[in-house]
Amino acid sequence: MLRMAVMIKQVPDSQDITIDPVTKTLNRTQARNIVNPPDMNALEAALQLKDKYGGEITVITMGPPMADSALLECTSRGADKAVLVTDRVFAGADTWPTSFTLATTAEYLGGFDIIFCGEETTDSSTGHVGPGIAEFLGVEQATYIHSIDYQDPYFIVEREIEGAVETLKIGKPAVVTVVLNANNPRKPTLKRKIEAFRKGVITITNKELKLRPECVGLKGSPTVVKDMKTIVDKPKDTVKVGPEEIPKVVEVLTQRGILKC
Amino acid sequence: MSDFDAIVVGAGNAGSSAAIYMANKGLNVLLVDRADPPGAKNLSGGVLWGNDLAQILPKWQSEAPLERFINNKKLGFLTEKSSFMLDFKTQIFEENKVGYTVLRSKFDPWLAKKAKEAGALVIPGITVESLAIKDRKVIGIVESGDTITADVTLLAEGVNARLAIEAGLKRPLRDSDVSLGIKEIIKLSPQKIEDRFNLKNNSGVASEYILGFLGELNVGGFLYTNKDSISLGVVVPMENLRENGVTHSYDLIEMFKEHPSIAPLIEGGQVAEYGAHLIPEGGLEMMPKLYGNGYMILGDAAGFAFSNGLVLQGMNYAILSGIKAAETAVEAKLRNNFSEQSLSAYEEKLNSTYVLKDLKTFKDIRKVTNNPMMYNTYPKLLESIMLETLWERGQPKKKIRDVLSSCASNLNMGKIKTLKEFYYIYRRM
Ligand SMILES: Cc1cc2nc3c(=O)[nH]c(=O)nc-3n(C[C@@H](O)[C@H](O)[C@H](O)COP(=O)(O)OP(=O)(O)OC[C@H]3O[C@@H](n4cnc5c(N)ncnc54)[C@H](O)[C@@H]3O)c2cc1C
Ligand SMILES: Cc1cc2nc3c(=O)[nH]c(=O)nc-3n(C[C@H](O)[C@H](O)[C@H](O)COP(=O)(O)OP(=O)(O)OC[C@H]3O[C@@H](n4cnc5c(N)ncnc54)[C@H](O)[C@@H]3O)c2cc1C
Repeated sequence: MLRMAVMIKQVPDSQDITIDPVTKTLNRTQARNIVNPPDMNALEAALQLKDKYGGEITVITMGPPMADSALLECTSRGADKAVLVTDRVFAGADTWPTSFTLATTAEYLGGFDIIFCGEETTDSSTGHVGPGIAEFLGVEQATYIHSIDYQDPYFIVEREIEGAVETLKIGKPAVVTVVLNANNPRKPTLKRKIEAFRKGVITITNKELKLRPECVGLKGSPTVVKDMKTIVDKPKDTVKVGPEEIPKVVEVLTQRGILKC
Repeated sequence: MSDFDAIVVGAGNAGSSAAIYMANKGLNVLLVDRADPPGAKNLSGGVLWGNDLAQILPKWQSEAPLERFINNKKLGFLTEKSSFMLDFKTQIFEENKVGYTVLRSKFDPWLAKKAKEAGALVIPGITVESLAIKDRKVIGIVESGDTITADVTLLAEGVNARLAIEAGLKRPLRDSDVSLGIKEIIKLSPQKIEDRFNLKNNSGVASEYILGFLGELNVGGFLYTNKDSISLGVVVPMENLRENGVTHSYDLIEMFKEHPSIAPLIEGGQVAEYGAHLIPEGGLEMMPKLYGNGYMILGDAAGFAFSNGLVLQGMNYAILSGIKAAETAVEAKLRNNFSEQSLSAYEEKLNSTYVLKDLKTFKDIRKVTNNPMMYNTYPKLLESIMLETLWERGQPKKKIRDVLSSCASNLNMGKIKTLKEFYYIYRRM
């Protein structure tokens, strides 16, 4: 039986983010919160392994209490347990303490054969956290994978590199990060949702993890955001295309492998 | 043993109110809505009259996400170039504060949250596929091939009640049952709103309009003030749209917005949301059987709404019918009897409230709200009376009586016919 964890982050839906015409800053207040999209692919990859080999999936997020809805989205799709890591001292973390806290949580929960992350988040997109967790735990890792299989004691993963697909064999335990659209995440069903909502989430705070306050949250973050500027994209030179040119457009897109005919 | 005492389909006003009441009384309740957050895609004008809500949430005035309380109600008749307004402002509304504008995308998720707090299991983001029926009894709902069972299922799925219709518990909608409502939310600063509408603090205005400049179309308009936006829209009977072959119904709201007396009110505003929704206006004609073995139908799904051109209400009917269905379910649970006979108490309860009383009193109201005289003739008549009496054009003045008859004859209205039509409408309002 595989013990699996999926790390997920709640992010504002980028479709709902607007730029305030006056202050030119991002307006997130109207945005609905969703699960970071590639994390859904990470979850689906875990669910497929579970379908094939059996096992137990724990979804974990570090975030504010309202992030519980993101966890329930995952248990509604078939994950077995949901863990919310939340504490005032964890707030304001950059990628270093985020990885550290999540790695410690994994150990606190008894360790996992495999930890799945998304490739990166849509709201900060560093892509640090997966590799960070692997480093803190001292385990093997594979990033940007789109498929995974299991041959005890290895995981066989595929990742796309320029012009080729690389197949890697990595030892258990491992951390992998999954690319967006790697698979087709399943939809929740009412029956699963009822079970998930009834079970709820398990909350872990620093009372359990007992991390030194100077190693977590804002205090434990080595990076400082000194300045932020909004860059307004200049409109690109656009070419008007008439209906006569549509076949040509299709041809180019097919050549590039964007369309399949 | 059923999975739940009660399942409620739809977390609109009707469904969430029912869930709150039943959960408060200790029933094991499942409330399912297709939107996430629940009810977030629902649409109203919307002025909410909260007397019924107070029955289940006594502190609603301080807790609910409300926009502005109504202390000013207006009724306007518009012709192409003029507007004739009745403007009623009262300290009495100010002292009582029961009518508030709300934005459903905020209000409904709040109401569903209250159902959760009361102890109901609230599941968003799931569209129920069908009703589970066994031995001619509704035993629950079906989704993704799973059946979830309950002693009683409350159908609060809104005007287009697919589950009830597909299960044969309600006939399909006809054009004559519904009007189409089209609405926009236009962002405007609180300062501008307060200046333009002469409001202060949290007070607000609700205006209804009769649009007398759209030919054969019987279109009503509304404009309500929110904290930092305006809700504006049009309502038109479906059969009237169909008769006139209107396919671009969206143009109607544009024409309303461009009217010389509306355009300055929304100038500089940004459209933040728009939507369209059906309004049940068929009254008793469209009302299904309200209950049967293991189920009850509430709110818009049952056709509970009221509109007469002066007001458009449905949320309060939904809430009150939700409470009455919930009371019935709680009593049925005590008797442990969810048969048709046991649930018939629902209709009896509704009979003693305004919900069914209004539907009976105003059973012919559609003949007013879809009456061409109302839209094509009266606004023009009012306009010409006003011009005759208020516009100095160096002509000898006329007595009111003569003004009336000359205006009427200019519009090709026979005196007798006009009086008869007026009396006809007057009797039905
Ligand atoms: C305005 C702003 C400025 C910032 N500046 C910096 C900065 O200068 N330096 C810096 O290091 N960070 C910065 N951050 C980002 C920071 O706080 C991150 O949100 C957080 O550390 C995670 O990094 P990420 O979102 O880039 O995750 P990524 O590394 O892109 O995420 C990869 C994967 O890791 C997992 N994951 C990420 N976060 C979590 C979590 N909280 N719980 C569970 N799983 C998770 C998910 O599976 C995710 O798909 C900034 C954020 C904002 C909003
Ligand atoms: C333009 C317009 C203006 C209006 N103005 C006013 C006004 O000013 N004042 C007023 O009081 N009333 C007004 N109304 C009427 C009012 O909006 C309705 O009467 C009221 O919303 C009815 O509430 P309900 O709970 O019955 O239905 P709804 O509010 O329609 O709720 C139905 C719910 O069921 C859910 N649902 C449906 N099918 C399923 C399914 N299969 N599975 C899961 N969930 C499902 C939907 O997501 C929705 O949340 C207006 C209506 C319109 C269209």
